Amino acid sequence: MKELSLNILDITYNSIKANAEKIEISISESISANLIQIEIKDNGHGMDHELLEKVTDPFVTTRTTRKVGLGIPLFKQSAEDTDGKFSISSKIGEGTAVYASFRLDHLDRAPIGDISSTMVSLIQANDQIHFIYRHSTDSGEFVLDTDDLHAQLGDVPLSEPAVLSWIGEYIKENLEDIQGGKI
Amino acid sequence: MMNVHELAKACGFTYFSGANAEARPVCGAYCCDLLSWVIGRAGDEDALVTVMSNTNVMAVAVMADLPCVILSEGVKPDERALEKAIENDIIVLSSPDPTYATAVKIYEVLKSV
Repeated sequence: MKELSLNILDITYNSIKANAEKIEISISESISANLIQIEIKDNGHGMDHELLEKVTDPFVTTRTTRKVGLGIPLFKQSAEDTDGKFSISSKIGEGTAVYASFRLDHLDRAPIGDISSTMVSLIQANDQIHFIYRHSTDSGEFVLDTDDLHAQLGDVPLSEPAVLSWIGEYIKENLEDIQGGKI
Repeated sequence: MMNVHELAKACGFTYFSGANAEARPVCGAYCCDLLSWVIGRAGDEDALVTVMSNTNVMAVAVMADLPCVILSEGVKPDERALEKAIENDIIVLSSPDPTYATAVKIYEVLKSV
């Protein structure tokens, strides 16, 4: 995909479809290690060993309407095309974790893209899900935890436009502080 | 309008798979290596011209219902991709030329009929 944030959005929707209540999205970008690492971890219904073995095959999908699914295969390809690694682990009833790494200076590596908009759209459409978004760089780390926001906001839903716009700005400012999301 | 086998013959493309597959019409080419970009953009009468040669290309061909895939620059499909191409009756052709020259050749041939 043109931006890694689009891959993240796509993979996170797998978690949502798996009825996850909690989804952790972690991005680490390190210029010194020449590495970008992305992990999406959920507590959804998980997959059995048989499906897990096949899930990186685009001709296998949990959709019933068509026989191909490309979210995971394209994420894996993006990682491997840039000398990175891809792994997925899952347990029935416990959840799934998808990990991909990318060589930061590889010419075929897509930019991270607009991760702030990605998070805002995920939160907007899935207020009931507990999202924990972590982003780290060589110069720092920040965390956005929707449970903390709920605790502070009381009954105000996160899908309120004013709240969403605050979340978007909060992410942008924090990324700015740690020099993240630009590569 | 030409069908995919007529186009292959006229352009001198060779077959990796699908030599006996359905002769669907081709009216143009779509050139792109970013597979997620192809879905929803390539039309169902477009030959996909790409240097990508993994199994995801075959999945895109199925998903976007493409009449054929043309691998440019003499690129060969990897083993798994070829397996899936055969299994799904996808016409996969080979062109020795780069993507641009391959597309120009297709254009010239389609224009002449």
